[in-house]
Amino acid sequence: MTSSGGIAIDGVSMQFNGSQGARALDGIDLRISAGEFVAIVGPSGCGKSTLLRIVGGLLEPTSGHVNVGGKTSSQARRDVEFGFVFQQPTLFPWLRVLGNVLLPDRVLGRRNPNNGPNSKDIARELLRDVGLEGFEDHYPAQISGGMQQRVALARALSYGPNILLMDEPFGALDEFTRDRLNLQLLEVCNKTGSTVLFVTHSIQEAIFLADRVVMLSPRPGRITRIAEVPFPKPRTLEIRYEPEFGALAGELRGLLEGDDDVELALNGP
Amino acid sequence: MRIIRKRSRVIDVLLRVLPSVAIFALCLVAWELWVNIRDVPAYLYPSPSDIGRELRDEGLALAVDDLRWTMIEAVLGFLLGSAVALCTAVVFVHAKFLERVFFPWAIVLQTVPIVAVAPLLTIWFGFTLTPKVLIAALICFFPVLVNASKGLRSISSQAVELMSILSASKWSLFWRVRIPSSLPYIFAGLKVASTLSVIGAIVAEFTGADRGIGFVIIQASYRLDTRLMFAGIALSSAAGVVFFNIIGALERLALRWPDARLER
Repeated sequence: MTSSGGIAIDGVSMQFNGSQGARALDGIDLRISAGEFVAIVGPSGCGKSTLLRIVGGLLEPTSGHVNVGGKTSSQARRDVEFGFVFQQPTLFPWLRVLGNVLLPDRVLGRRNPNNGPNSKDIARELLRDVGLEGFEDHYPAQISGGMQQRVALARALSYGPNILLMDEPFGALDEFTRDRLNLQLLEVCNKTGSTVLFVTHSIQEAIFLADRVVMLSPRPGRITRIAEVPFPKPRTLEIRYEPEFGALAGELRGLLEGDDDVELALNGP
Repeated sequence: MRIIRKRSRVIDVLLRVLPSVAIFALCLVAWELWVNIRDVPAYLYPSPSDIGRELRDEGLALAVDDLRWTMIEAVLGFLLGSAVALCTAVVFVHAKFLERVFFPWAIVLQTVPIVAVAPLLTIWFGFTLTPKVLIAALICFFPVLVNASKGLRSISSQAVELMSILSASKWSLFWRVRIPSSLPYIFAGLKVASTLSVIGAIVAEFTGADRGIGFVIIQASYRLDTRLMFAGIALSSAAGVVFFNIIGALERLALRWPDARLER
C-alpha cells in the first residue's frame, strides 16, 4: 500500500509488438513517496518516457504493476490524479494562454477540485507563479517556446493533481531558459507539495531538481543506480558549482559511459 | 499613430489588389484593340465593350431571372455535398474499417465525369432543381471529404494523451480537439468546393433546364449569340468569386488565432 501521492512500481517490463518486438523496459522496481521529486535519467531510447506513460496509465505494461495510492495507474488516471507535461508544450493554438490553462477545468467540470466561480482566478494565479502575468490573452503562437512550456506547466497544475509527470519538458529549450524554468518548477512544487516524476537526459538537470536520481541503462531500460541527492531544498543555481555536485554528476555520467562500453563489447566494432 | 496605421493598411490592401486588377484591365484593352484592328466578326469574338453593353442592357434581367437560380442550385448543392462529406469524414476517422471499404468508392465517385452523369440525372428527375443540386453536391463532396479527413486526423498523439490524462470522453476529445484543429483544413476544402459548385450547377443546366445561366449560355450558343454567352460567363464567374469570398470571410471569422488559415 502507498499513501495518496505515493507510487509503487513492481517488476514492470514492457515489450512492444508482442514477443518479437523491441524490449523497452526490464524489471523496474521503484518506490516513490508522496511529495518526493524523482528524476529518471537515461540515454535516448532507454524507455524512460515509456515508464512515465506506464505510471500515468497511458500504457499497460507487458508484466508487472504500478500502484498509485492504492489504485492501479489506469484507475488513478481515470480519477485525474496525474498532471502531465509533455516534451512539446501541446497547447491548443485556437485557445489563448488563459484558455489553455482553463482547458482542464472545462473538460473536468465538477470533477476539478478547483472548479467554481474562482477557477479563472486560480488559473491567473498559476500563470503569475510561472512568471506569465500579463500574457493571459496572448495566443500560444505569440509567445516563445519557454513561455509555452510554462503555460503547459500551469495547465498541468491547474486542477491540483497529486502527481506531476514530466517528460523532458525543457529538453528543447536553451540553457538560460531551462535554468530559470528549473528554479520556477522547484518553487511551484514546493508550494503545491506534489509528487514529481521527471524524465530527462541531462544529469545536471536531474541532480539540480530531484531528491533522488534514477539511472536507466540503454534499451531495455534497467535501473542501474538510484542516487540520493545530498542538497537540501530550497536550492539555488549555485549548488551546481559545489564539488559534491560535480562528483555526483561525474559518477552518474560514468555509469552511462560504462554502459556504452558494454554495448560496444556486445555488439562488436 | 492609429490613423497613420489605418491609412497604411488601406494602402496595403490597394497595393495587394492593384496588380491583379491591372493585369485584368490590360488583357481587356489588348482584346478590345485586337478585335478592332483585325476587324474580327462580332459573332466570333465580341469586344469587351460589346459585352459590357450587353451586360448593361441585359445584366439585371439575367441576374434576376437566371443567375439567381444557378446560384440557388450551387449553394444548395454546396451545402448538401459539404454536409454529407463532413459526416462521412467523421465516420471515417472513427471507423477505419468503413474508410477502407468506402474510400475507394469516393475516389470512383470523383473520377466519374459529371458531364456524363448530369444527363442521366436529368432523365431521372426532369427539368427540376434536383439534378442541378445533386450534381453541384457531387462535385463538392470529394474536396471537402479529403480535407476534412486530413484535418480530423491532424491532432498530435500528445494532444490525445493530454485528453486521456484528463480522463476526457471521446466526445470531449472530438469537440474540444478534433473539430477545432480540423477547421483550417475544412475551410480550405469548402473554398475549393464553393467555386466548383457553380460549375456543377451550370453543367447540370446544360443537360436540361428552362432557366439558369447554363440554360442561357446553351440557348445563346444555338443562336451564335456570343455576346450573350460572354455576358453569362462573366456573370457566373463573378458570382463564383463572390461565393468564394463569402466562404473566405466566414473562414476569417471562424479562424481567429494566428497562423490558423492554411493559405492566404
